[in-house]
Amino acid sequence: MKAVITDNLSKTYTGGKKAVDNISFTLNQGEVFGFLGPNGAGKTTAVKLLNGMLSPTGGACRVFDIDPSEKPDQIHQFSGVVTEHAQMYDSLTGLQNLVFYGTLFGVSAAESSRRALALLGQLNLTDAKDKKLDTYSTGMRQRLSLARAMIHHPKILFLDEPTSGLDPESVLSVNNMIKSLAENEGTTIFLCTHQLRYAQEICNSYGLIDDGVLLAAGSIEKLRSLVFSGMTVSIKADHFPKDMPSTQIGERRYEINVQSEEEIPSVIKRIVDEGGNVYHVSARRLSLEEIYFSLLEKRIERRGKK
Amino acid sequence: MINAMQITIIKRDLRSITSNKRLFSVLLIVPLVLTVVLPLIFILTIHFAPDDMGDLQKMLDLLPSSGQLDTMSRTLIALILNSIMPIFFMITPIMASSVMAASSFVGEKEKRTLETLLYCPLSLKQIFTSKVLASFILSMVVSFASFLAMLAVVEVATLLTTGSMLLLDISWLVTMLVVSPAVSLLAITLIVSGSAKAQTMEESQQRAVFLILPLLLLIAGQFTGVILVNTWVLLGVGAVFAILALLFMKSSMRKFSYEILLR
Repeated sequence: MKAVITDNLSKTYTGGKKAVDNISFTLNQGEVFGFLGPNGAGKTTAVKLLNGMLSPTGGACRVFDIDPSEKPDQIHQFSGVVTEHAQMYDSLTGLQNLVFYGTLFGVSAAESSRRALALLGQLNLTDAKDKKLDTYSTGMRQRLSLARAMIHHPKILFLDEPTSGLDPESVLSVNNMIKSLAENEGTTIFLCTHQLRYAQEICNSYGLIDDGVLLAAGSIEKLRSLVFSGMTVSIKADHFPKDMPSTQIGERRYEINVQSEEEIPSVIKRIVDEGGNVYHVSARRLSLEEIYFSLLEKRIERRGKK
Repeated sequence: MINAMQITIIKRDLRSITSNKRLFSVLLIVPLVLTVVLPLIFILTIHFAPDDMGDLQKMLDLLPSSGQLDTMSRTLIALILNSIMPIFFMITPIMASSVMAASSFVGEKEKRTLETLLYCPLSLKQIFTSKVLASFILSMVVSFASFLAMLAVVEVATLLTTGSMLLLDISWLVTMLVVSPAVSLLAITLIVSGSAKAQTMEESQQRAVFLILPLLLLIAGQFTGVILVNTWVLLGVGAVFAILALLFMKSSMRKFSYEILLR
């Protein structure tokens, strides 16, 4: 069974804004899926559609083979959601909040409080557990929201910008938590963010979205193959063969594209054979950020032609 | 019908009102003034007023003989207790339930906790029912507590000033068991059906004014003697209110969706 299937999913708001436009992708169980795009691209709308908070105006979606627009409460039973719009009660303490939501999800009060204490520990909130929420900082609230979403051991977690407002240290602990959830408990993670570099650290598959349109989806290798699957080698040398297709990016600095690592030694060998000295060689593949922007450019070009 | 998760919501809603000093003081002071302080002032005024009130006696003579008691003071107190006071037991539940419903629906929306609640594995209808019930329970508790307080104060004051206690009119049964719950439901419905549009708690509480206004007219009517509501009329009005409230409640429930609530 797939964790998530969307089939030409569309949502046009009553005002006429097309927030999600014909999106189709699938997610396997245990995958950490990064749903990436700028603010207002339609990420939050997609999360709401997958949880039944909105009903689609076109197409369909299924989460663990349940249609969210028909049986949202069944999906909520095994899904956890963190969004900036889902806050908790200021008049309750962190622990009280977690126990309240635990009981709402059908977990007994005793079990909720045991689980809550464990999660508070993992998210470095143990010291603040008996403080009321109105004394919490943004970062603490965000971490408490994560704990809230996990209180009932969800099969799938929807995290909408989970690290916004977090300091680097907390980002690290959140990342580790997400990774261990996916690896050890098989939890499927649907992570929305506009921070592409951050996503590349923890996700194993991606959906790139802009203006409601899905630019591409799949593993990083698949996405790279859409743009350029080879490697870019940058070389610092005092001589470079004239007939080799390269771009000079600075004094004594050249960049050359190759299909695989196997090609690099022959390039270096030629430089040396022609009497050049090599000071530095490094190779890298396209980053998610570069892929995103080049796909975006392609789309704009295509739209320009139309 | 009501499961453990819904009880959790009801409990939290009730606790959120009692822990909010501003709202809780409104819930205490308004009923206290209307149902304890006000009747006490009436009784004391009657007691200390000059005995010779010929005009008033003439007016009281106009009352149906069933309303006439042995002394003028007692007739007056009985008149106030049985004809004026019941109206306050319509205002009190309206006030209590609208404060509570506004905080529980619009207040949660304002504080962005409603969305979190919607992500829990309860159907919209179950959440809705829990919240309506929480408001209803609170309003009934306030209403019955005020009733007991009023009864104690009025009876003791009457005993001290006139030498014996008064009998309650049978219409009180109708007021407390039919009319008061019915207007309370009606007020909740008004607030709830407006909650999708309202963005702030204050905005939604203002809707309850539409219910209070006709009641103020009723008070004026009772004081001037234009309308004398008898038990049967009261029962009829209560029943109509209750039916209206249930119908409105059903239709506003049908209109609700996650999308409308979160707008």
